[in-house]
Amino acid sequence: MVEAIHNVIIGNGSAGNGAAVTLREADPDCHITIITMGSLPFYNRYDLPRVFRGCYDWREILVHPLSYYDDNDITLRRNSRVTDVDGRNRMIAFAHNEAMHYDRLLVCAGGQGYLPEDLSDYRDLMSGFGSFEAAISTYKALPAGGALIMLGGDMIGLDLARTLTDTGYRVVLLANEYTFWPHKVQDDERDGFINALEHMGVEVIDGVHPVAVEEGEAGKPARRVVFEGGGDVLGDVVMPSYGLSPTAEFMLGSGVDIERGVLVDPTLHTTDENIWAAGDVCQIWSAEDNAYRFYYGWNNVRLMGEVAARNVTGANTAFEGLEDERLRIDKKGHLSSPFWEH
Amino acid sequence: MSERDEAKTGDVARPAPTPGEGQVWYSDDPRDIGWVRENIPCQTACPALTNIPAYIQAIMEKDYGRAYEINREANILPGVLGRICSRPCEDVCRHGEPGNGTPVDICHLKRSASDLKDTGHRINESLYAPSGKRVAVIGAGPAGVAAAHDLSLLGHDVTIFEREEDPGGMLRYGIPAFRLPRDVLHVELHNALRLGVELRTGVEIGNEAGQTSMTQLRKDYDAVLLTTGAMAPVDLPLSGGEGKDDPTSVKGVEYGLNFLMELHRGMKKKVGKRVAVVGAGFTALDCARVAKRLGAEEVTIHIRTAEEYIPVTKDEIFETKRESIRIKGLRTPGELLVDENGALRGVDFVQNRLGGWRENGRRQAVAIDGSEFVEPCDTLLIAIGQRTVNDFLDVELELDRWGSVKTGEGGRTSIDGIFAAGDFVAGPTTIIEAIGNGRNIAGGIDHWLMGRQRRRQVVRISPVEGPLRERSFDFIERQDMPTAPLAKRTRKLTREVETGFDEELAATESKRCYLCNLKYQIDVDNCIYCRACIEVAPKNCIKLVEGVDIREDGTYGELRETKKWDEVGAIWIDNNECIRCGACVMVCPTNCISITRNEFVTQDI
Repeated sequence: MVEAIHNVIIGNGSAGNGAAVTLREADPDCHITIITMGSLPFYNRYDLPRVFRGCYDWREILVHPLSYYDDNDITLRRNSRVTDVDGRNRMIAFAHNEAMHYDRLLVCAGGQGYLPEDLSDYRDLMSGFGSFEAAISTYKALPAGGALIMLGGDMIGLDLARTLTDTGYRVVLLANEYTFWPHKVQDDERDGFINALEHMGVEVIDGVHPVAVEEGEAGKPARRVVFEGGGDVLGDVVMPSYGLSPTAEFMLGSGVDIERGVLVDPTLHTTDENIWAAGDVCQIWSAEDNAYRFYYGWNNVRLMGEVAARNVTGANTAFEGLEDERLRIDKKGHLSSPFWEH
Repeated sequence: MSERDEAKTGDVARPAPTPGEGQVWYSDDPRDIGWVRENIPCQTACPALTNIPAYIQAIMEKDYGRAYEINREANILPGVLGRICSRPCEDVCRHGEPGNGTPVDICHLKRSASDLKDTGHRINESLYAPSGKRVAVIGAGPAGVAAAHDLSLLGHDVTIFEREEDPGGMLRYGIPAFRLPRDVLHVELHNALRLGVELRTGVEIGNEAGQTSMTQLRKDYDAVLLTTGAMAPVDLPLSGGEGKDDPTSVKGVEYGLNFLMELHRGMKKKVGKRVAVVGAGFTALDCARVAKRLGAEEVTIHIRTAEEYIPVTKDEIFETKRESIRIKGLRTPGELLVDENGALRGVDFVQNRLGGWRENGRRQAVAIDGSEFVEPCDTLLIAIGQRTVNDFLDVELELDRWGSVKTGEGGRTSIDGIFAAGDFVAGPTTIIEAIGNGRNIAGGIDHWLMGRQRRRQVVRISPVEGPLRERSFDFIERQDMPTAPLAKRTRKLTREVETGFDEELAATESKRCYLCNLKYQIDVDNCIYCRACIEVAPKNCIKLVEGVDIREDGTYGELRETKKWDEVGAIWIDNNECIRCGACVMVCPTNCISITRNEFVTQDI
């Protein structure tokens, strides 16, 4: 009897789940294990702003019913942090001192919100929005009608901002080069997009560099952001929104090539014959750009997971990112981004 | 199994025995020597062979002076290396193996021994009788100072000749004070040299007027040791300037090493608003961080491969980024762009992709045709490497294919009585490698001068009453090094960034060490094969074996494991897997598991 292949997927986002379902379709007998650091089954992170519209139950944002994993014979390992991958021996090590063998590995670990190193001392005074738990925590920290100070303003943050302004909160955006990330905005377009943000109700402060976050004084808003060279702004919650950095640190000793993310060829294959990568964690070689590049957004990431899984099972398909990556202003004068589509 | 001789006289590295300990043995059995080499990976990886578990245990016991002296036995500059070491020990720390967490912060614990010891603590030095021999050391960098110190201990009269005004070499002139405070450097250099080493600074070796020649030194001294390091920058020919292929002909372009050395000689250095640094080593990062402190608004380090492959510590990269310095990968500079006034306005780069591995273990970068792009900047600091210079020699020494002086056993060059050590031989290495090599070569010079080897390495084996660790220690996270607030640190060139562990942090971090110098061993004659130890073991560390192979060199080889009871020859503790938690000792009903401390010491022959 031939022993079933063990496909391990690190990451429970849209890339990982896109890969899992494709693997199951291609090989009904294989073992599939999804490993996630999170505590919840696969949910739609684009639905997280809904917590500000009264959605407090995680079940409401699940992509699949809870029976999905059993129905598809997929083992989901939650609250499990991978610390190392040993590509030579095909072993994964966990923070809880467990080791797991794999035959083929798909790294779909995604990205984490990037916080510039010069602000890292203030991490504890800032709120995140990268998980359901973080979203609920931010919701609780922000009083009704309160002000959220957003540093940077990537498209994930601006997605939240449009919900907040729509639901009676204030958003003060400290704009910088990360604003509109991952869109590459030309200088002559930027003012128009900033105007659109203001039209959406976002209060934009442009050209300041935050150097410190402090607790607010008694009787005043809970946070104070201090600017380089003087000046400050007060708010109830401070949220960094500087784009994503790939969650690739656990792959450093694996033997695969890494630059900022895991480097893959257009078929999403790493330099290890048994390891593929998909989603925000990987940099894909682009012959057109003569460089490795990232592709973001739900649709890109989902497609990457599917392509990687097909290639794991023997195909040789190249990933082609969605062509339209332009930021636009719609008829209402609001921003419109393909990264918000899902 | 060991040659259990009584202690011979003259061991210079004997730690104070723990109260209640029994007899101490000294062994030159290859199995014991091999065991120490294989089971204490941190010590083996240290070019100076620092007894790391011993000093960390001393820190755990809050005996910082002893921890410092244990360091000093191998490395004369613990406070210095505790700040700027490249930490090869941490790369192999067993706490960093998959499933075990992250390596122990060995380097910063070394620093804490220096920081937390009593002021005016007693320094241990073991002096040999005067030999009447005179040795000249050229260069007061880490290799030269380490060699001079050891040669002086061994009874020789040592004179160091140093070109600069002060000793220290790269430590003083290459490394900025915000990473290595000069008072720490001064004290430790002074300690290393005060045993009678004569230091002559501002002395140039060469053939010009006012210089001292090698030929003359060889006549005046019984032996001459060359340790002039690798103090010249590797050239980077970039087109675009007036001086063909000499990038420094363009205003705003400098070699990083020269930039740092001039700064540390007291010259006033200036940088522009947008500074680009090319290079991937500590010097490149230091240049960038100095530029930030000199007022640059935007500093970017450009590297050919990727951050993962650059030979600097992760901590250093993190602190550099915290100071708002960017690191951009996969690019190689090709051409300088110069404005109408002859000043730098940018650098033309070509995009790379990762290639294979080079012989030296570094990654290759492969340039992509047609991928040129421009990075605007007004200052360019080039720090792509360092090289040796030997044009000051008036004697003809045999060179290797890289142009460095060729040495043989004990650092001997092709001319009798002239030795060489450190970066001058090996090219640019690390400070700890230079110190380790300097000390080794000092041993070689002593052998040559005295006509016999006077010291040897043996294993000191001492019984330990019970486990020194608790299982709970395995779950302590690595402690972060406290740092100066960002808002203040870049205002001054001399403000130290890392502020050091306090006693509590040092104690907590020290508990994480597995103390790999402890050897757990089962006495098979008293073992009743109850398996209790196997049941409680948290790792796969206690094994049923048919036997243990012995290699040709006499050291232990592979364990021949078995699962069949009728083939079991012994229950064996695999000390490569053992995390010294002591759980096996606690449950053993027959007390058949012994613990000994095994460590290298130097003995007189």
